[in-house]
Amino acid sequence: MHNTLKLTVSHAPFWHNGSRISSKSSNIFLASLLAVVPGCLQYGPAAVGVVTLSIATAILWELAFNFISRRPFSIGDGNAAVIGMMLAMMLPATTPWWAVVTGTFFAVVIGKEIFGGIGANPFNPAVLAVTILMVSWSGLFDFNAALLNYDFDFMAVYPLVLSKSFGAGAVDSLSLADLLMGKQIGGIGATFGLGLIVGGVYLMLRGYIRWEISIAFLAGILVAALGFSVANPTQYAGPGFHLFTGYTLLGAFFLATEDASSPVNFIPMIIYGLIGGILTVMIRNIGVHIDGVLYAILIINLVNPLLDKIRPKAIGKGV
Amino acid sequence: MIKRSFFGLVKPKLHYEVIDEAPAEPVSITGVKQTKLFIAQSPGQAGEEMLKVGDPVKAGQKITLAPDAKAYATAAAGGQIAEISDFIGLLGKKYTMVTIDGSAGGDPGEDDAFKALSQSPSLENAAAYLAGLPGKPDFTPFFDKEKKVKAIVVCGADRDLLTTTNQYFVRNNIIAIKTGIDLLCRITGISNAILVVPQHLEQVAGSSGAIVKTVDSEYPSAHPELIMQHLLAADEGKSAAAGIAFFSAEAVCAIGAAYSTGKLPMEKIITVITKDGNQRLVSAPIGTPLQSILSEFGETLNEGDRVIFGGPMTGVSVFRTDHPVTPDTDAIIVQDAGDVMERTDTACTNCGECIRVCPVNIQVNMLIRLLEAGEYETAADQYDLFSCIECGLCTYVCESRIPVFQHIKLAKHTLESMKAAEETNA
Ligand code: SF4
Ligand code: SF4
Repeated sequence: MHNTLKLTVSHAPFWHNGSRISSKSSNIFLASLLAVVPGCLQYGPAAVGVVTLSIATAILWELAFNFISRRPFSIGDGNAAVIGMMLAMMLPATTPWWAVVTGTFFAVVIGKEIFGGIGANPFNPAVLAVTILMVSWSGLFDFNAALLNYDFDFMAVYPLVLSKSFGAGAVDSLSLADLLMGKQIGGIGATFGLGLIVGGVYLMLRGYIRWEISIAFLAGILVAALGFSVANPTQYAGPGFHLFTGYTLLGAFFLATEDASSPVNFIPMIIYGLIGGILTVMIRNIGVHIDGVLYAILIINLVNPLLDKIRPKAIGKGV
Repeated sequence: MIKRSFFGLVKPKLHYEVIDEAPAEPVSITGVKQTKLFIAQSPGQAGEEMLKVGDPVKAGQKITLAPDAKAYATAAAGGQIAEISDFIGLLGKKYTMVTIDGSAGGDPGEDDAFKALSQSPSLENAAAYLAGLPGKPDFTPFFDKEKKVKAIVVCGADRDLLTTTNQYFVRNNIIAIKTGIDLLCRITGISNAILVVPQHLEQVAGSSGAIVKTVDSEYPSAHPELIMQHLLAADEGKSAAAGIAFFSAEAVCAIGAAYSTGKLPMEKIITVITKDGNQRLVSAPIGTPLQSILSEFGETLNEGDRVIFGGPMTGVSVFRTDHPVTPDTDAIIVQDAGDVMERTDTACTNCGECIRVCPVNIQVNMLIRLLEAGEYETAADQYDLFSCIECGLCTYVCESRIPVFQHIKLAKHTLESMKAAEETNA
């Protein structure tokens, strides 16, 4: 008889390329720091407080939910931390603690866990949470009022409010280079455009986000903004302005690309991104809201299951 | 193990092993006392006249559980039957494992049942005696009344990574392949023989006399299903997809040799990879137990190690240290317990990696959701379960480390056995 040595028995394949969810999370986390650190430098300790509180409570909410629902602890995959980070990036530095904690609750518990955890959320959890906060306490997101007490060396007005209320002429004075370098007010991690772009390109190259979505989203913004400004140059600002203000870059690289709520096939990804970009500009220009990125992302999240029905036919015997 | 490339945008590329230079001669495993054979039938099913412990066995003898049973194995070495036991394979498939002890009793000599027949080669005697040869030739397609075989495809490329058996034969023994192909054509009456080889062997393959086609070096292009789709269907229309009989280069050599010498060649060429990553070509009789091969290289197994029979993508991990070499064992890979990667039951994150690598465009992210929920029928109807060619790539790249391939196998098996049950009841 054979001896009793226990060999490991498992199913093929016996190789794996070594990828894991936690390495994706940590890469996204690190890439986001490129925008968050400059944001913190700009807004000081209050911003650091919001970011750390947001990450910490996101992790705690997930832990608590794992515990209550008796599911295996999943905070090790880093997804909760990333959600916390994304949420903080959208918030103004002056957000009160209770709003941050409520926000992470909406994001992690309502946005993700009750749908079944990672991979099952139909909407981007952080976007959903911020939208709920905005609808419930709109004052929190009045960037002009919120950041009133800061002393900046640039014009401290939320650029999207300017263009919305006073037309394209009002934002002529803003140089694109300044906007790109974060000389504008906004969410903690949403203003330093250069950092967002570098981080986004890094994530695209490493394959942690699907480049098709980001590129299509930005293309949608450009095309729509160009269309509007050609049609009425005095009222609507040009594509460059739309690209570097509000949540555009954050949305293109970090929010629209969230895995579970976006499509995976080529054509659907392109449609998804394009619709997102175009809707963003439409909401900004003709809608009632100041920024359109979050609503646009929720809408494309909603159509995602339909889009993924457009899929290549499998080849082979089963057909 | 090949890791994900730094630039994840680049699709992972897994390349087949290439033997370019004439390879080193295989290390021969000799002096094996006990051999073990699998018969694809469980001991209980055979009926009356069972094979018994103590029966003498001659070298090259065809072993069946009962005189009229169809399933058989071929003994590489003679001796006495020492043990007959149940063996449960993958997905509960039942086998009988027969142990032949070569040290007991005198030399029983060689079996000559095939020798007499070898003078008049025919499909019938090939099917009756040669299915246990190295490379596991499968003659059943020729007996399928509904689908007529129109072409014989000989695979000179290896199916899985790290394995080199077929290349070895193309490289070293193209004459034997030619003999084998000629013979197969003669006994089947089919003149359309195609030899499929990796690109670097195209020249060598020319002298086989068959039509030569090449496959590229990226896994899984040498998969029979893909060979059929890419190379053959393109030339001969979709109808060619039906009616192809596949043989490995090794099997074809063995068939040729069996008929020209009257003796059954039972040496199997195996790539053995030990824990230190060393790779060697080994020639061992079919039935040689695992530990006899490992001891040749001073390899010891510890608790938790994993031994894979076959390649890293599609092989089978074995649970006994005396698991024998079978006619289709192209590789034996030993992995240290520390290198065994755990699979998890994390949910699919919808990262899409699997979709990018699937050679047949299956929406694996949707498929796995259905399979995990046990909705096999929907999976088959809407998400192409049965198109899967079982290459294992989706599982190789899955960042959630879901055992996707295992789910697929289980689902197919479940549906197939349900169908079989319905048919017998009808
Ligand atoms: S094993 Fe996975 S990657 Fe390979 S064919 Fe099947 S579904 Fe596609
Ligand atoms: S690779 Fe795994 S986690 Fe990613 S989509 Fe496919 S099944 Fe889901």
